[in-house]
Amino acid sequence: MTETNENQTESEHGTTSRRDLIKIAGALVGAAALTQVISGTTLASRNPSSSAETTTGPKWGMSIDINKCIGCKYCTYACQAVNNLADDMIYCVVTTESMQNGKEYFLSRPCMHCDESPCVHVCPVKATYKRDDGIVMMDYTRCIGCRYCQVACPYDARVFNWREPIAVSPKSPNFGFAEVPNRPRGVVEKCTFCVHRIDPGVAKGLVPGKDARATPACVVACPTGARAFGNLRDPESPISKVLADAKTVMRLREEELSTAPSVFYVPPDSHSNNPFIKG
Amino acid sequence: MQTSIQYPKVRLGKKQVDLFPYWMGLLVLGVLFGLSGAFFVFRDGLQVTGLSNKVPWGLWISIDLSSIALGGSAFVFGAIVYLLKIQRFESIGKLAVLLGFLGYSTAGMVLMMDLGQPLRFWHPIVYWQPHSLLWEITMCVVLYLTVLLAELVPVVTEHPNFQNHPWLLKFPILQTISKFSRTLSHWLHKAGPVLAVIGMTLSLLHQASLGATYAVLYGRGVWFNQSAPTQFVFSAMSGGICLLFIASVYVFRVMRPGLVDDAAFYDVARLAGAITLLLTYLRFWDWAVTNYYSFDQQISLQTKLLDTISPYSLTFWLGQALFPVIAGVVLLNAKQIRNFRYLVAAAVIPPIATIITRWNYNFVGLIAATTYDPYTPTVKLYTYSPTWVEFAVGTLVISYWLIMFSLATRFLPFHGEKHTEH
Repeated sequence: MTETNENQTESEHGTTSRRDLIKIAGALVGAAALTQVISGTTLASRNPSSSAETTTGPKWGMSIDINKCIGCKYCTYACQAVNNLADDMIYCVVTTESMQNGKEYFLSRPCMHCDESPCVHVCPVKATYKRDDGIVMMDYTRCIGCRYCQVACPYDARVFNWREPIAVSPKSPNFGFAEVPNRPRGVVEKCTFCVHRIDPGVAKGLVPGKDARATPACVVACPTGARAFGNLRDPESPISKVLADAKTVMRLREEELSTAPSVFYVPPDSHSNNPFIKG
Repeated sequence: MQTSIQYPKVRLGKKQVDLFPYWMGLLVLGVLFGLSGAFFVFRDGLQVTGLSNKVPWGLWISIDLSSIALGGSAFVFGAIVYLLKIQRFESIGKLAVLLGFLGYSTAGMVLMMDLGQPLRFWHPIVYWQPHSLLWEITMCVVLYLTVLLAELVPVVTEHPNFQNHPWLLKFPILQTISKFSRTLSHWLHKAGPVLAVIGMTLSLLHQASLGATYAVLYGRGVWFNQSAPTQFVFSAMSGGICLLFIASVYVFRVMRPGLVDDAAFYDVARLAGAITLLLTYLRFWDWAVTNYYSFDQQISLQTKLLDTISPYSLTFWLGQALFPVIAGVVLLNAKQIRNFRYLVAAAVIPPIATIITRWNYNFVGLIAATTYDPYTPTVKLYTYSPTWVEFAVGTLVISYWLIMFSLATRFLPFHGEKHTEH
């Protein structure tokens, strides 16, 4: 009895009683354990894509033969004309890169339409989502413009609409005409595989990849035929033929990231993993 | 116990001047300046910022992360006061709730500015994407702000104006409101433990997931770090409790002497010191694993490049390792030191370390970004410099924080209902 009283008075005086210390220590340990559980589950929750994939429908893909690319940037320009983009808004970037042996080549990079898209996983409002046919789409009316997808995309494929959309793209009419409505200021946009051509085209019985009206603008515009498009599940589609004929096929940062892009590259012939061979 | 509020005054010649009106005037100027910036943001969109497609997150996100982190004492002391029922921290707990509320509302304001479509700020609440950390953070912040508000309402309604203001007799409607507010705060006070549990859960969840926001970005080498969530939680606790210590010394020891025992301050300081040392230990091993013992060339390249344009490594060794250790040791020995000048000086360091962690974290992956080319992937440096509009909005939210804090510490009855005998 006296002991409890003493403890109480001590506690009221403000000195830490042993019980208080144990309480705080317990709470701390609990907090630490909880954060571990939380961090573990959040990091592990990158589960396979949420949309149930059908294996019967088409799965659109693109291939780019680096050997055939001459760096003319017609793909970029056609894309800008069709999507009505200003000059500094680029969905499909063409850059000059080099191999280990120093040889340079052109790398044209549309959106990869990954099967495991980091952008789809991080979007807080499901404004970006993956369709059953593999196309990663944007819902421009839902996007809040937080730009997390931009930060998450390992390919820099996403462009933010910093300004009001322009009336007519500078690349129009030379490379085509606007085929899609303008996106509002303040949303993130990106390459759609020209879904506005694919969907109506398929509805009319056209074959994307073969019929120009149902094929992405960059593929149609490519003067050297470096690009092929089509249904990856159809062995007779142009892309399946290109991929079957190629000696090797690669995807960007494939092994490192497991994003499983739908855009395939035919690597340069002179490429070798042997760094002692001079190109 | 009778407590009267003593307003700190500055001696100018023979006069004792209360700087409060001038201080508020300055802050109002800051708000006006900030509002002009906010006007341009809402009118012209984010093109008025220095952000780009390469660096889409900048100053505002850093302010947002820092202010949430510095509100981190709210859940710790919410739990200590309402759950563990350690009574002598009651007043300090109220202050912690205030700091939490201010931190989160500041973050909410600056986040809304940062949206490309600010009027769609409510979308995450309606369109759920539970796989997104940003969705989880938004939901937690919204819910936690509600909890903090519920915890703050009883503190506000304890103000004597709610019970015996001359207007209460003149206007019956005010009497009804006063009665309602007392019933509400009574029930909210009763719900304290429940609110504390909910608050602690929400807070732990998203303080961790703020770190995970970056840590899940496996495409950006330097960010993909499994210990980031844990580090973010502990650094929020360390920085938040130190800020609470500084604020409570000012609010209780300077302005309301005698309300809180010095021993309670020492305990807050010791808690802050212990967590700071724990955090620094975690931080050090994180560095060792990701930098020193690691074979990850991307991270070493990124660090090297960042060092060419900023004192990146130095901020780690001084700001996040050396100084916090000193501060932690000083704070841990608060009972022996017993000098509040030293203790407050030491307590300034962990909040700075918390801010440095957040700012570095936000910028490393964007400023030094990995390229996607297949054969010779490398790290490229991008630049970002905030425009005056970004600084103006920053000034706006910081002024808001300071105004609310100054008003609250001057007028809110932290001393509780039973002590308000003037």
